[in-house]
Amino acid sequence: MKKIIQFKNIVKSFDEQIILKGITLDIYENEFVTLLGPSGCGKTTLLRILGGFLDADSGEVIFDNEDIAKLPPYKRELNTVFQKYALFPHMNIFDNIAFGLKIKKMSDDVIRQKVTRMLKLVNLEGYEDRKIDQLSGGQQQRIAIARALVNEPKVLLLDEPLGALDLKLRKEMQLELKKIQQEVGITFIYVTHDQEEALTMSDKIVVMREGEIEQVGSPIDIYNEPVNEYVANFIGESNVIDGVMKKDYLVSFDDKDFTCVDHGFKDNEDVDIVIRPEDIEIVGRGRGVLNGKVKSQLFKGVHNEIIVETARGSHVEVTMTIYNKKPIFNEEASEYISANNFYVDVQDFDELTDDDIIARADAQAWDAETEEYVGFSSVTYEELVGENTYPVTFSTSKGTSITIEMIGVKQRYINDEKKRIGIAAFDFFKTLDEIEESQALDTDLKTWADAVSWDLDTDEAIEIRNVDYDFEIEDLVPGTYKVSFSTVGREFKIHTTKSSEVDKNVGLSFDPEAIHVMEKMGF
Amino acid sequence: MNNYKRLIQPYVLWISIFLVLPMLLIVLYAFTVGGNDVLTFNFTLDNFTRFFNDNVFIGVLIDSFRIALVTTILCIFIGYPAAYFISKMNVKSNAFFILLITLPMWINMLVRTYAWVGILSDNGVINNILSFFGLGQLHMIHTEFAIILGMVYNFLPFMILQIHASLTKMDTSLVEASADLGASKFETFKRVIFPLSLPGVISGITLVFLPATSSFFIQRLLGGGTILVGNLIENYFVTTGDWNFGSAISLIMAIIIMISMYLTNRLDKERGED
Amino acid sequence: MKKKFGSKLFLGLLMLFFYLPIIYMMVFSFNGSKSLSKFTGFSLRWYEQMFANKSMIEAIYYTVVIAILATVISTVVGTLASIGLSKSRKVLKTYVEQVNNLPIMNPEIVTAIGLMLFFTTMKIEKGFMTLLLAHIAFCIPYVMLSVTPRLRRLDPNLADAAMDLGAKPSYALRRIIIPQLMPGIVAGALIAFTMSFDDFIISYFVSGNGIKNISILVYTMSKRINPSINALSTIIVVIITIVLVAVNLLSMKKAKTNKVAQRVGLVALASCVGLTIFGLQKLRSNSGGNFDPIDAYGCDTLNVFNTGEYIGEDTISKFEQKYNVHVNYSLFASNEEMYTKLLSGESYDVLVPSDYMIEQLLQEDRLQKINRKNITNFDNLSPLVKGLAYDPKNEYSIPYFWGSVGIMYDKTKVSQEDLEQDGYAILKNPKYKGRIFVYDSERDSFMIALKNLGYSMNTSNLNEINEAYEWLRGLRANDPVFVTDEVIDGMINGEKDIAVVYSGDATYIQMENPNMAYYEPKEGTNIWSDAMVVPKNSACPLLAETFIDFNLGEKIAYENSEYVGYTSSVQKVIDKLQAGEFEGLSSYIPRSGYDKDEIFNYNPKIRKVISELWVKVKAK
Repeated sequence: MKKIIQFKNIVKSFDEQIILKGITLDIYENEFVTLLGPSGCGKTTLLRILGGFLDADSGEVIFDNEDIAKLPPYKRELNTVFQKYALFPHMNIFDNIAFGLKIKKMSDDVIRQKVTRMLKLVNLEGYEDRKIDQLSGGQQQRIAIARALVNEPKVLLLDEPLGALDLKLRKEMQLELKKIQQEVGITFIYVTHDQEEALTMSDKIVVMREGEIEQVGSPIDIYNEPVNEYVANFIGESNVIDGVMKKDYLVSFDDKDFTCVDHGFKDNEDVDIVIRPEDIEIVGRGRGVLNGKVKSQLFKGVHNEIIVETARGSHVEVTMTIYNKKPIFNEEASEYISANNFYVDVQDFDELTDDDIIARADAQAWDAETEEYVGFSSVTYEELVGENTYPVTFSTSKGTSITIEMIGVKQRYINDEKKRIGIAAFDFFKTLDEIEESQALDTDLKTWADAVSWDLDTDEAIEIRNVDYDFEIEDLVPGTYKVSFSTVGREFKIHTTKSSEVDKNVGLSFDPEAIHVMEKMGF
Repeated sequence: MNNYKRLIQPYVLWISIFLVLPMLLIVLYAFTVGGNDVLTFNFTLDNFTRFFNDNVFIGVLIDSFRIALVTTILCIFIGYPAAYFISKMNVKSNAFFILLITLPMWINMLVRTYAWVGILSDNGVINNILSFFGLGQLHMIHTEFAIILGMVYNFLPFMILQIHASLTKMDTSLVEASADLGASKFETFKRVIFPLSLPGVISGITLVFLPATSSFFIQRLLGGGTILVGNLIENYFVTTGDWNFGSAISLIMAIIIMISMYLTNRLDKERGED
Repeated sequence: MKKKFGSKLFLGLLMLFFYLPIIYMMVFSFNGSKSLSKFTGFSLRWYEQMFANKSMIEAIYYTVVIAILATVISTVVGTLASIGLSKSRKVLKTYVEQVNNLPIMNPEIVTAIGLMLFFTTMKIEKGFMTLLLAHIAFCIPYVMLSVTPRLRRLDPNLADAAMDLGAKPSYALRRIIIPQLMPGIVAGALIAFTMSFDDFIISYFVSGNGIKNISILVYTMSKRINPSINALSTIIVVIITIVLVAVNLLSMKKAKTNKVAQRVGLVALASCVGLTIFGLQKLRSNSGGNFDPIDAYGCDTLNVFNTGEYIGEDTISKFEQKYNVHVNYSLFASNEEMYTKLLSGESYDVLVPSDYMIEQLLQEDRLQKINRKNITNFDNLSPLVKGLAYDPKNEYSIPYFWGSVGIMYDKTKVSQEDLEQDGYAILKNPKYKGRIFVYDSERDSFMIALKNLGYSMNTSNLNEINEAYEWLRGLRANDPVFVTDEVIDGMINGEKDIAVVYSGDATYIQMENPNMAYYEPKEGTNIWSDAMVVPKNSACPLLAETFIDFNLGEKIAYENSEYVGYTSSVQKVIDKLQAGEFEGLSSYIPRSGYDKDEIFNYNPKIRKVISELWVKVKAK
């Protein structure tokens, strides 16, 4: 096959932001090439440079052995199908398609013949006299393709042409596009952020990220042998795991060693491991290479998506004290008032405001008749020094008041050095009513316990995914209970036609070939 | 949201009284003669025969439309490139120029127009500059040139703003598509940009042609007593007090304007269907 | 590169075109003299005058108040109507949209006369209310035009969602719909304000009873545009520029401060507007003594209707101060205009019409007798103007100014001989082709033609009038320029060699340009006189008589005459000025006792004929 387009070290920046960082890419005749990447990766910019709508800052664009970098768009032998079609609203279908031919001053009967042929190609015969706004999105799309193809370009550029269509139409058009490409036999360069589209249509996929090409290859290559975590994540769904390549054919993660087919890494090199969800099988506990517990199961049409947790995340456990306390009623003012004891970190003393205290004590006062909330006129407590118990009194302007205990403690927190995660929570007090009234108990428990987790290195917050407790709400009585909070652990996504049950303990099994070991991505 | 339906009712009443009724009154007056009392309704076509039987009136009408036409054409030829150049600039300059063009509209039209008297007059700024360089004199004030200049000056901003709006609203991908399909810059302009900006030009024409036909103070200040249809109407309403004839003239003018606007719009539509 | 330069040059020239008059206006607002074409030196007098000039302050006040009220009302009504409209049936929608298009797609003058006919037919007295109603009427469609597109883009479920969550329709409107439409509403309000602020044509036709905005004031400043208008416009330009710069600076700041900035800006704007209105109100209102005019005259406001630049600079304010009253001083461009306004139901207390018009008003019984007892200065009147034919006993009219019509000519360019020989026909002398100003007045032009043809200017013979018409048509071969009061500036600057002028203007011109001279042709001329009268519907005749008497006082009469250049009706003033300020100017004392000179008579039929023929003379 012959090279038709060569990008040589294309650099482009806007407003001092580098969009393309030296792209070098060859495209061959008669190929369906897809530029794939998330928005902002530079794929559209590259296409626009090829189309001639943008000038590269540096680098060469070779088209048919000729540098076309300085050629204006109208002198380039390639045509574009624009994102929102860019059909001329003041012309009918015929004139839209004939536009390029008229510019070339072809004779009328030739134009008519060509336009008719094109309309046939895109299955819209007899639409010549329609107006643009009388067409559906899919039809407009086809007209845009016809308008470009009628000029017999050597290369057709398509800039996310299916983005505006609904799912069903999209699928149809994908097949149609591929069919058209095979029929006219020219190179299609297709830009999309939809990996499925790319896999369906392309001969060659170019995966881009932040102005650079990550991987070029056939859909099968890219799917099966992604070069790094990024490509693996972008193409298809995967489980990507941090691991260590102990030696050739032996990789380790979560304190376990696995044999694999990869080699050529340094011993003990940190690597990324990809295991595709469809390569994992659920088996009985102890029968596979890993054991875990089913967290969720989602029906996805052809298959089930099952999440299995094989290792627990960082966790912390607190004590919840439930007591049966009713709100205080002040007859004079006809007001109710309630509040809870609570724990507070002595380190937070300095920054503690009245509002914080009201929130932490969950202090409320309300009118007995209207049930409208009443604000507090004062929150009084003694000077806060060190670990101790401090009485706090909340009172309203009508003299209704309640006193509770604020317990200053040094907060317990756990540093999970291995995972580099910190997690912390407080013991807390609640009344039975409050637990029963809670609409979203897990979230409320997190709030009441002030449970937080963070990355030890970056200090960024980490989501606390799981809240576990050993009671049933229906038979809750005053007393103390354990509540534990944990971050997400090792979870595997599995695609299978079989089904399982949530909370079931299972085993996971996969072949050594299913483990793809990749180099860690450089940043 | 049907609850808001009734919000329109008082407004329908309002426009019926303040916009529809006055127009009906003009028609009523135009088809009656004598005393300014509508109650004695007596249908007649006298006002119209009187108008169309008099060459002078017809001459005035023709003059008015001719001057308005010239003004409109000039506004297109100056306004289009101006709007085009501005729309090609970056966002900041764009906004700045549009601001510069809108700003004068805040200053009283009559005052701005009157300033031209001092600029154009035989001893005015321009002639002073000319004679300073020994270039002789240019007689400008009280000529048709001055009237047209005054009208272009007053109405050009409307044209520029309309065309500019239609140009900036235009999808740039259409221009790119045209270039992509092989059209040179000139051809892209001819086949895509210009036809697509036509609605802007049309509304610009409306905003220029309308006031230009019916203006009466511009020619009064700059024209040295030139009579156009606006002055006729003013004369019959303010000086002569013949409201019936004045109404008839307004009606004639309004109808001719309506017809020409209709034709202009048709022209645009036909082009589009072509 | 070259192309870019071309477009820049083009835009540069265009901006010069747009801003030349504005710069010109700003420069001349600092001019030392009244001339609008010669800069004689820097001065701030026009700024001082602007603040001292009551009618200008009033015009600003009305312009601002009307613009604000019209903007607020039309924005509220227009927004609500748009929302209602979007939910209405198709028929109603079409109707409203079509009608809304009327003021937009119709020439403004048609809307204007429509409203004028409407107000007159409905017998609604013209003034503040009619002006406001008209402004609201033409502003609402523009507001709707700018709100409707935003409304169309709005999710139709928004209000439903709010109501689903328990909001009442009015609450959903206030908190959900209106905030979403805000950009459109603000844009609409801005358009409405601009339209109202700058409107002339509609205001000109629907206003009356002394209520005028800046545009009307400028248009009716019939003698000449007073340079204080330039001062006012300069101030407006500066204010707008400051506001725009401030807005741009504020919007450049980060989004966080934006809210605060917006609020600060709004408060600042509101207080600015408030201060302006308050200040104008203050300037407008009287600060007189303890004297209560209502006790003495039964009223405290006097409506005076006069021609422009036809009274001393301070006469009005002196009168107001002395009697602790407010004077609504309005201007008319011609007797006919004044008559039409009177006919359309406006009421005034003092009018200053000319002789033939007084005759007409008397015949139609539109004037009331003046109580001679209240005119203590009656004896000051010159015998030359007392007891003229239209009111032999001066029962209804008290002469104010008088004079003749004549030819003003440049002594250095026009030969005395030609003048003597041709008389009025010098206007047709090809030697002076293109060098002539003709005063744009049907009456005086026909007077000239009739006199030159040897007829009486009061002829009712249609053949003679037609001959005069032909005479005047023939005049056009000499390319005369028809002007009204530009003639004054024009002749002072020596723009033309010959002009038809009133004697009073001639006096003023000669004071400024000694090359000019005044000539009263032998064919005879129009000796005219303008007098003060009190119309029947005056609400305040006693105060009107006081005002008339005030103007006959020697000191005031002197100031009036000295300022405007017209011949006073007070003998002592004539003598004093003739010996002093206007010494040697023949135009100050018009010819008297010449048998070919005449005074105009009232003849309604001929008036109409002449009026229409004159339009035809001027038309091509």
